Amino acid sequence: MGIVIFDGIAYGMLLFLIAVGLSVTMGLMSFVNLAHGAFAMIGGYAAVTAMNQFGLGFFPALVASFVAAALVGGVLEFTLYRRLYRAHPLDQVLLSIGLVFVSVAVFTYFFGPTIQAFSPPESLTGSMSLMGLEVGRYRLFLIVCGFAILAGLLLVLNRTRYGAMVRAAVDNQRVARGTGIHVQRLFFLTFAFGCGLAGLGGALSLGILGLEPSFALKYLIFFLIVVCVGGAGTIIGPFVAALLVGIVDVAGKYYLPELGAFLIYVFMVITLLVRPNGLIPRKGL
Amino acid sequence: MSELLAFDQVTAGYGDAVVLDRMSFSLEAGKSLAILGRNGVGKTTLLETLMGHTRVMSGSIRWNGQDITRMPSHRRARSGLGWVPQEREVFPSLTVEENLTVVATPGPWNLKRVYELFPRLQERRSNYGNQLSGGEQQMLAIGRALMTNPKLLLLDEPMEGLAPIIVEELALVVKLLCESEGLASVVVEQHPVLTLSMTHHAIVLERGQVVHAGHSQALAEDTHLLHGLLGVGQRPQPSRPSMDAPAGYTLLPQGA
Repeated sequence: MGIVIFDGIAYGMLLFLIAVGLSVTMGLMSFVNLAHGAFAMIGGYAAVTAMNQFGLGFFPALVASFVAAALVGGVLEFTLYRRLYRAHPLDQVLLSIGLVFVSVAVFTYFFGPTIQAFSPPESLTGSMSLMGLEVGRYRLFLIVCGFAILAGLLLVLNRTRYGAMVRAAVDNQRVARGTGIHVQRLFFLTFAFGCGLAGLGGALSLGILGLEPSFALKYLIFFLIVVCVGGAGTIIGPFVAALLVGIVDVAGKYYLPELGAFLIYVFMVITLLVRPNGLIPRKGL
Repeated sequence: MSELLAFDQVTAGYGDAVVLDRMSFSLEAGKSLAILGRNGVGKTTLLETLMGHTRVMSGSIRWNGQDITRMPSHRRARSGLGWVPQEREVFPSLTVEENLTVVATPGPWNLKRVYELFPRLQERRSNYGNQLSGGEQQMLAIGRALMTNPKLLLLDEPMEGLAPIIVEELALVVKLLCESEGLASVVVEQHPVLTLSMTHHAIVLERGQVVHAGHSQALAEDTHLLHGLLGVGQRPQPSRPSMDAPAGYTLLPQGA
């Protein structure tokens, strides 16, 4: 029981890291960005390349994954995304799902269709004893990362002027502009940052999920569930939702193997019936 | 006095719908302007156009010696247009203090002075924007505009839905800002009597055009004209709230 919850939390942390950027994109810019998983994939491949081609260690590779995904995210925001901020959601879906297919093809072309080899550093392999539980070191590392990034994000969002600007723009874009906030630049920075976090999540997922070109599509549904269930535009919402989805998914597969894959959908439907705006809707909704 | 703001044959609206139809008017520096008219004649659209939230099809807007017709909203705000939106629209997930500091720009107006003007806001500094009464929200919306250190305040139906005593206090503040700070206002309102008492000049809109322009006082005294333009003022109005501040009065009473 304990280990199922622990593994569920570790899996949830991964989902949180990847999906939190999507929550901000959907909440702040009202942009339905189905390509968010592609940025996670960019991070994953960047980390693999950094380690296997350039011989970097795992931790520098994590930095590289963030930078690579944030850079690509920034370029795409500037060239494509910002043209569709006011477009119909269907247009946004078409553009972003198109980007997913492009990314699948590009990574298949350069890296082949197979799962990428990855071996975590010595310090993160094996297991250790924690409060009477034998837990995987890598999963423990994921949980620590998740909490650290959650704390960092909450600090930035709630305690800095930049964070207040983001919240103001999420609340009311028109008034934010009309009171002098440069919303377009805010979008650019936030979008790139969210992509960077997704990239970091993608790199961290190397030790848990397999990285292959269909990654962006395969896990998309999980990211969307986390954001919908949690409530778009918040940090805490996706965090709670990601942990619940992670635990439900791992527990389902462990205890009810024949039903396991369906349980998270049941969970999502029930949560949204009870709380249509998500577990933790943002203030003023 | 030099011209501060001018609309020159501005046609604007939303999508393909025209709301302002070749509208022209101008405003001198240091003078307050009332924008009156019945429901749906384009009063709010005028302010929204000035802030860059509508589609301008033709004409030009000059502000402070600059053509701002195509300027993005946030630059207009930074160039000194202090917008107080209809329905206040304070940021609900920001505290009172964050609502003020998030838009702050350097200048004579800062947090301390806004709190001096509205002590009530200081008492509620840690409350979120959606935990305030209507009057407090309006104070916050005005305070937020002041924090951008504006050259002109744009007030969109500032008295709507507020208790009469709050309305009087806010009107007093707007007058004081003009008289002691030299900060003039453009006031959009349904109710002409109070608005005319707060302003120097007035324009009356109908179907997106200016149908009357003149001194506020003259319009307030001409009840027949006022009735003809707005459908009010036929009967002599009951004595209107005095907007003259007592000597030495600079701040709102505590706990207003």
